[in-house]
Amino acid sequence: MQASRARLFKEYKEVQREKVADPDIQLVCDDSNIFKWTALIKGPSETPFEGGVFQLAFAVPEQYPLQPPQVRFLTKIFHPNVHFKTGEICLDILKNAWSPAWTLQSVCRAIIALMAHPEPDSPLNCDSGNLLRSGDLRGYYSMARMYTKLAAMPKKG
Amino acid sequence: MQNQDGVQVDGEVESATSVPTPEFDEWANFGDQDIMQQHSAIRAEEAEKIPFLGDKEPLSSLAAEYQSGSAILLEKIKVLGEQYAAIRRTRGDGNCFFRSFMFSYLEHILESQDQSEVDRIKANVEQCRKTLQSLGYADFTFEDFFALFLEQLDSVLQGNEASISHDELILRSRDQSVSDYVVMFFRFVTSGEIRKRAEFFEPFILGLTNATVEQFCKSSVEPMGEESDHVHITALSDALGVPIRVVYLDRSSCDTGGVSVNHHDFVPAGSDLPNASGCSEKVSPFITLLYRPGHYDILYPK
Repeated sequence: MQASRARLFKEYKEVQREKVADPDIQLVCDDSNIFKWTALIKGPSETPFEGGVFQLAFAVPEQYPLQPPQVRFLTKIFHPNVHFKTGEICLDILKNAWSPAWTLQSVCRAIIALMAHPEPDSPLNCDSGNLLRSGDLRGYYSMARMYTKLAAMPKKG
Repeated sequence: MQNQDGVQVDGEVESATSVPTPEFDEWANFGDQDIMQQHSAIRAEEAEKIPFLGDKEPLSSLAAEYQSGSAILLEKIKVLGEQYAAIRRTRGDGNCFFRSFMFSYLEHILESQDQSEVDRIKANVEQCRKTLQSLGYADFTFEDFFALFLEQLDSVLQGNEASISHDELILRSRDQSVSDYVVMFFRFVTSGEIRKRAEFFEPFILGLTNATVEQFCKSSVEPMGEESDHVHITALSDALGVPIRVVYLDRSSCDTGGVSVNHHDFVPAGSDLPNASGCSEKVSPFITLLYRPGHYDILYPK
């Protein structure tokens, strides 16, 4: 508990320092609870998520950093490795490939990379995965694009 | 117009993604978090059975395990008994090599009070820190693990405020908050060494998996619970400059007649050079581990 708190505090300071270096990620700690974080990440360019801003919720366990943070999308996203309803993310580093070498910041980077490089063979969203697996890139792109516009972009006017 | 289209399609998607049959509802709510919780519950249950580190047991307890089993193994255990007196088991949770190494090493320092060995390994640990920094690891990701190991090292040396007894060393080695952190320290050190000498380790890694050196470190070295192979042992032994003997107990029988037990000494690269600690003549490992396929325990020579 004490160890995780100390580590999170170091990450907090690191995040303040890296703000400028990584403008695609805005990681904020809850005012009253250092185990709760949210992040705003920018959809990577040349993907259907471009121009969107996606919100992630982090719940950090007491055994952190020996155990991974729990992360999910709060913003609706159409992606093979994100549960359409719960926002849960299928990413190895959040499960068995986790190690303390990762940080909340680098997890955000990994999630941005996952947005650009979906893994349709381990889908949490089968509809999305099936479009990619059947080679219907256009179908995948237009669905993903539509949800980006609906959920991740500020409404105009 | 576009918006209208969107809403319409939205409706279709909703019905397609949500699983309508009620009996699947529970599964839909059964997320990865639940699975991980279940995993840790199973692990906790297993933990009750075998601590991270067991008590010292006579070698006969090893033979007892195979009483109704392979005759070759029983023969080999008999041969082992000529050289070794006891065994200390570790939990088979994928971290057994590192936990065995941790206890063996600290116990050796506690019993030998070898200050020069402590000074030597501390210099190596500093080198490992620099290696990780030069590989781009942020200090705060690994420094807590380094600090905890150095703390244990100081406390097994007697004569200072933090000194601990053999019993206390056992208790700490069974305490998850100490043991896991030291294991993680070794994992960082191992990973750093492999990546620093990537061209040396690459062919061995290719022999094990189809991964690049970096992928291998990320997926098979750094995460807790990933089992150790000769690559890990070589790297840890080299990085810390600590020779390790591994005795192999398996069903393989040798050519003709007599049963023998193989061992392999992992001798750190460059340790044949005379060094400050003066033990330059012949490297004989003070750490002996017993390897049975998939698992490491500690062996005590007679």
